[in-house]
Amino acid sequence: MNKVVISVLGPDRPGIIAAVSKMLVEKDGNIENVSQTILQSEFSGIFIVALPPQISIDELANYLKEGLAPLNHHVFVKPLEPGRVFFTMEKSEAFVITTRGPDRKGLVAAITEIIARYGVNVTNLQAVFKGGDDPNNNIMIYEVDVPAEIDQQGFYSDLRRKAEELSLQISIQHRNIFEAIHRI
Amino acid sequence: MLTEREILSTLEMVQNEHLDVRTVTMGINLLDCASHDLKRFKDNIMFKISDLAGNLVRACNRIGDKYGIPVVNKRISVSPIAVAAAPFSSSQMIDVARTLNQAATAVNVDFIGGFTALVEKGIAKGDRALIDAIPEALAETERVCASINVASTRAGINMDAVYLMGQKIKRAASLTAREDGIACAKLCVFANIPQDIPFMAGAYLGIGEADAVINVGVSGPGVVKKAIDRALSTEPQIDLGQLSELIKHTAYKVTRVGELIGREVADSLNIRFGVVDLSLAPTPNVGDSVGEIFQSLGLFSIGVPGTTAALALINDAVKKGGAFASSHVGGLSGAFIPVSEDLNISESVANGYLTLEKLEAITSVCSVGLDMVALPGDITEETLAAIIADEMAIGVINRKTTATRLIPVPGKKPGDTAHFGGLLGQSVILPVKNPPGANRFIRLGGRIPAPIQSLVN
Repeated sequence: MNKVVISVLGPDRPGIIAAVSKMLVEKDGNIENVSQTILQSEFSGIFIVALPPQISIDELANYLKEGLAPLNHHVFVKPLEPGRVFFTMEKSEAFVITTRGPDRKGLVAAITEIIARYGVNVTNLQAVFKGGDDPNNNIMIYEVDVPAEIDQQGFYSDLRRKAEELSLQISIQHRNIFEAIHRI
Repeated sequence: MLTEREILSTLEMVQNEHLDVRTVTMGINLLDCASHDLKRFKDNIMFKISDLAGNLVRACNRIGDKYGIPVVNKRISVSPIAVAAAPFSSSQMIDVARTLNQAATAVNVDFIGGFTALVEKGIAKGDRALIDAIPEALAETERVCASINVASTRAGINMDAVYLMGQKIKRAASLTAREDGIACAKLCVFANIPQDIPFMAGAYLGIGEADAVINVGVSGPGVVKKAIDRALSTEPQIDLGQLSELIKHTAYKVTRVGELIGREVADSLNIRFGVVDLSLAPTPNVGDSVGEIFQSLGLFSIGVPGTTAALALINDAVKKGGAFASSHVGGLSGAFIPVSEDLNISESVANGYLTLEKLEAITSVCSVGLDMVALPGDITEETLAAIIADEMAIGVINRKTTATRLIPVPGKKPGDTAHFGGLLGQSVILPVKNPPGANRFIRLGGRIPAPIQSLVN
């Protein structure tokens, strides 16, 4: 079996997952993981699929493109390379960084620049930008894995300094607090 | 993956509703410090406290930062000094109090509790020496807190001890007359004192406890109030059963925070985790008040008719939610009604809605007792003792903890204001019926027998 990654992007509407999965069944593919998200009107889905050896990536890609054209969706297919490791993080702790403040260009770029500089990995990012100056309308939530070996105090103080520069309220909390409070 | 709502509601609780861990209190057993030699005893105490609690404040701050939840107070409770220092005289006991104060200063905790005697059935030599030392010990130190258990459901009420405490409170107030009798703010008189209270001034480490233990006191009146306000604004038809459920959920969340942080502090210091005390503990800040919850529930003010029923509802719901959230719940676990420490409650007193008699009544359904109650300076020892006796009777008969923290404010009369400063706040002095009069009932002394446990009406 070969594993492939399929990404689908286009306007949201009922039937997208049904169409993709039906075509995968027709090519004897087996979905191992799937995740989808919707931002405003746009749907994006990512699938990891095991394919029988006789089906090539190009063949599958063309088949999907053709099938999804009526839905006005873009498809991208690439082989999954499970052997290749692009980064490792042996020991890390999960934190949640939340910023609130007036909307302006470059907020995400400024914060993620620091996150990247310290080798911290963003595992989930949610942003609510409704514009304007009400801080509660402009919230970014970064879930991150902070490696144990980095200078954590330096990381936090750099983040706090940058947030102040951008007039953002920032809070940095270990993920466990949210689970403790909200989950049984 | 966390949901946006989970994250934002947590932030809301911390940033706008005063969610915090009110205290992490390390209990330290001092019985193995015992010696007949005072210097040696004091050296042993200093060494043991510095050794065990040296890193307490740092650990609490680090872990509080990690979770973004402040640990507001770090404190120590110790074995009852009347037992640990039993061979010593009253003046030597004052010296022991100074050493405790020194030890607390050395490890940077704001209070150390355990200047304590358990005398519900009788007063031993060490107990008497400690009780006699209380006024000077509290007047001369800043951080030492004292508590005396004078009654229990199994022993009855030791009225000799009650009268004695009336005298000591009066004396402690006169020694700190210039500060409105502040020494009395560090002295609790108890019925059925628990062994694991993390909150001051009643904290001490019980004889049945381990060598060292971490107990946590959570807070959160602001969180409860805001949850009620939100529910009533989105759903005005909500009934009291549903509100009770809502308070339960909120208490669950608050308690989980205490449990998480307490356990991690305990782990990092390699000390066993004891209990979470589920108390709604207010501060003089707006939005961090127990009194405001009554208004959210629809009462004009705490103290008006309906107060006792509302408090019964709140207290029961807090206990139910908290008990589910934590594997070990203990201490006082009830809503506190510390008059001077809660801006809203102290205003209700000033406006005449909350009286001494109503305060006493509500302690029968919850709360710890007559807490931080400022009384006229001309009140007699006997009247003070009689107020204590009444409060003890409520605890003894109802099989619950009750306590008093009464402050006869020297030179002030009903309607004047006493200022205690900081978290202790301020309060109008409450009128008392017959304050300067004699009370022959109290002078009779002896012990009020333990109550019958059947025929429960």
